[in-house]
Amino acid sequence: MNLARVRGTVVASRRTDGVENARFLLVEDCDQRGAGRGEWLVALDLVGADRGQLVLCTQGSSCRQTERTEGKPMDCLVVAIVDSLDQGGVDVWKAAGGGAA
Amino acid sequence: MVLARVRGSVVSTHKSPGIEGLPLLLLEKIDPVSMKGRGDYVVGIDSVGAGSGEIVFYVTGSSARMTDATKGRPSDATIVAIVDVIEKDGVPTYEKARDADSAGTR
Repeated sequence: MNLARVRGTVVASRRTDGVENARFLLVEDCDQRGAGRGEWLVALDLVGADRGQLVLCTQGSSCRQTERTEGKPMDCLVVAIVDSLDQGGVDVWKAAGGGAA
Repeated sequence: MVLARVRGSVVSTHKSPGIEGLPLLLLEKIDPVSMKGRGDYVVGIDSVGAGSGEIVFYVTGSSARMTDATKGRPSDATIVAIVDVIEKDGVPTYEKARDADSAGTR
């Protein structure tokens, strides 16, 4: 999974993916400290992530291994919200107050 | 999924039987903050009826074969949605209704 920051939302009423009640997030690929790289993706939100949060994104055919996306044309999913991230014993990310929104 | 603007269509008379009858659109990847094109182009199969100038998102890889239009077809980029609004940090960076490039261009 890639680390990404939630930056916003994408609304699309005309779709052929067949996913019901889909919520799409605008996410920016980022490093382990949450700094954006300027690479943007649209991801289907499975966990109720909010703007500013550090999340894990699954890409590729693995995206179809969930109940909601089985057999659906989805190639980028937000599958987890990161609470904290430790690198070499040092917390480089802490959610809710720790990480800059 | 990747955000792109429809820049045109691709015509091919000599193609694999698997992609016969499927609309091929020329897509330019965009930066969703500036809404400018990145100069990076890809050809995608359209499954939603997107028109020139519209902002869309497309799926790649094996997911591109998962729409009704592309099931079992050799597509690795399929447009699955026409975008109405992109919002970043609470502010819309794109609204289809106000976008001159996508308004009334079908």
